[in-house]
Amino acid sequence: MIRPLLLVALLSLPLAGVASSFAGTSAGSATGASSGSSGSSSGDDKMVLAARDDAAAFVASDGQIRGARLQAALVHLREQDAAAQQQSDLQLARALLAR
Amino acid sequence: MTSASSLAVEPSHARLNAKRRRAITAATHGVALLLIAYAAHAAERLQLDPTGLSPAQQQVATQTLSDVQSLLPDGLLRALPAQVQVGWRDDLPANVHGRAFAGRIALRRDLLDDDVAGARRARRSALVHELTHVADRNSAHWSRSARWRDLAGWQRKPWHLGRGDNAFRDRSPDAYELTDPAEYLAVNAEHFVLDAEFACRRPALAQWYQAHFGTPPSLPAPHCAGTVPLLQADAEEGAASLLQLDPSRVYAVDYLFAEGSAQPMSRWGHSMLRLVICRPGRAPGPDCRLDLEHHRVLSFRAFVGDVQISNWRGLTGGYPSRLFVLPLQQVVDEYTKVELRGLASLPLQLDRSEIASLLERTAQVHWSYDGRYYFVSNNCAVETAKLLQAGVPRLGEAGLAQLSPRGLRRRLARLHALDEQVLADPAQAQAQGYYFASARDHYQQLFSVAAAQMALPARDVRAWLALPAQQRAPWLLRGDVRASAGLLLLEQAAQRRAELRSRDALKRRLLADPDSAATRSLRALLEQSGQWLRPGQLLADTGYGLPQAEEQAEVARAAAAASAQTVPAWQALRVQLRAQLPPSQQRELDDIDRNLAVLGARVREQAAEAPPTGAAAR
Repeated sequence: MIRPLLLVALLSLPLAGVASSFAGTSAGSATGASSGSSGSSSGDDKMVLAARDDAAAFVASDGQIRGARLQAALVHLREQDAAAQQQSDLQLARALLAR
Repeated sequence: MTSASSLAVEPSHARLNAKRRRAITAATHGVALLLIAYAAHAAERLQLDPTGLSPAQQQVATQTLSDVQSLLPDGLLRALPAQVQVGWRDDLPANVHGRAFAGRIALRRDLLDDDVAGARRARRSALVHELTHVADRNSAHWSRSARWRDLAGWQRKPWHLGRGDNAFRDRSPDAYELTDPAEYLAVNAEHFVLDAEFACRRPALAQWYQAHFGTPPSLPAPHCAGTVPLLQADAEEGAASLLQLDPSRVYAVDYLFAEGSAQPMSRWGHSMLRLVICRPGRAPGPDCRLDLEHHRVLSFRAFVGDVQISNWRGLTGGYPSRLFVLPLQQVVDEYTKVELRGLASLPLQLDRSEIASLLERTAQVHWSYDGRYYFVSNNCAVETAKLLQAGVPRLGEAGLAQLSPRGLRRRLARLHALDEQVLADPAQAQAQGYYFASARDHYQQLFSVAAAQMALPARDVRAWLALPAQQRAPWLLRGDVRASAGLLLLEQAAQRRAELRSRDALKRRLLADPDSAATRSLRALLEQSGQWLRPGQLLADTGYGLPQAEEQAEVARAAAAASAQTVPAWQALRVQLRAQLPPSQQRELDDIDRNLAVLGARVREQAAEAPPTGAAAR
């Protein structure tokens, strides 16, 4: 009855109800990771980085796939920047991918 | 039966206060006569049985009775019989300070010896303790109520199978309280009456006593920090920090439900709670729903501090059940991108005070709970239900006895405690963060965008992801920005699949070589994780209940110092383990990294170009 089922913490996956690692996974955004502007990012940048995957899906699907992180970033960009208020969601999503 | 610790109340000062308060009240309300009558009545309640006492001891005993009487809150006094005899004896078992039997109290005679350090506090504690027993047995029966047992930590088993033992072992003021609910009542009554820190260390219990006993007359009004301390995982792997959560910043709490997967241990789905925390500076309101980077998830999981886990131990309580406090975005990525499971986030219908009391309970569980995980009878759903029952009295009364995440969701919906309407419009639900779709839901759509532009060497997305990375490489630079963005996301999916395969290979390697440097370093890191998941142990020798300012500072310092070591250690371990992978797997991971770098640069470039007019018009 005893058999090893899963997991090691490297590249780790705490599964439903079972976890070997406190923090984590390697599930972070690879788009973010491959960003040339890596280094110490904080606050706003972090939020925008976190939205990169959602922005990619939004751009790829021509606006059909709209995730909450993108939505949050759009709201944020428009709060911060008057010029952003004039731009469409798709334009902002592209701008986000261009960062 | 009682422990001597923490703050002692100066008797003269206390009496002065009480007198002054009485005088003022009397003058204001003109009910002086009534009050005097009441005070006189109360004075007769505690009667000294002087048997066996020297004159000096009699004097100390009389003083103690009179002091304690002035310290007792009204509700407790009223629940006592008209007279309670208090005697002092030498024949109590060692370590027993007092006994209550048939409405009479016997206390240890040594406690009258003021040469012993802490004797004054000990005899007061003992007397309050026994008086609480007398009142509880005489008329009030507080300790039998369901609410009390929920609060005290005798948690309900699912399906109305009674209650388990009290597993709130960490940071207890006195382990004796765990004996049974009546002792818990008596031990905590000592602290409520005599200990000025009680209100901040166990706020929910203090509120319960306040409601049933009334205000302890001699203690200063509490000035608690008002924040709830939680040791949380940071976004960076291996890092932890102290979150000082202000309940007024929590706009809502959602039931976060991860859909089931084919894995045997996740088929039922997973129950969690999501704290919708507003970003600093934003007034709590619906806008907080999109402050995703500030949201936190409370997730009960079995903690397996080892390379492998066993089904058997999962079924039989071989693992501790721990409350993980995680960033929402990490949880979303874990489920939707790695496990490819959808997540529904359904708002619980709670008012402000219910949110505050749920968070207080969460913190008590976080710092004190040391339960075991049973895959069937004490799993994530059962733990979440117990947290909700104890944290939200209304749900406790209704009862949430459920074994499964789905069952708990149904039960909450039936109680009208869950807003499922948020899922009515799927697109809206995803945009507003009520539903996080599995990344897999979009793979075919993303693939089709690229496939429409070029003759990709794969029929569908499965075949595309199954190709070696090198064979995908030539196709990555041929499409427009839409195709590139889609291929980028698919390349990430390919990376995660490759990482999962590597993980299995590494697990076998680590198990085969338990003494290797990598295995040892992994075990050490897991041990650190385990300590953080039982934060009460970090402060084992100080205080009880919720850590106060100084203890919090100590935890924060310890977490920062340990994180500074564990973060690079996890990174180093990753590098080290990656180097141990079979060459073919290493090559594949390297190829995928290259593909991702190429695609990342291309997407950035293409997105920066002026968009076609069609898109601009949107």
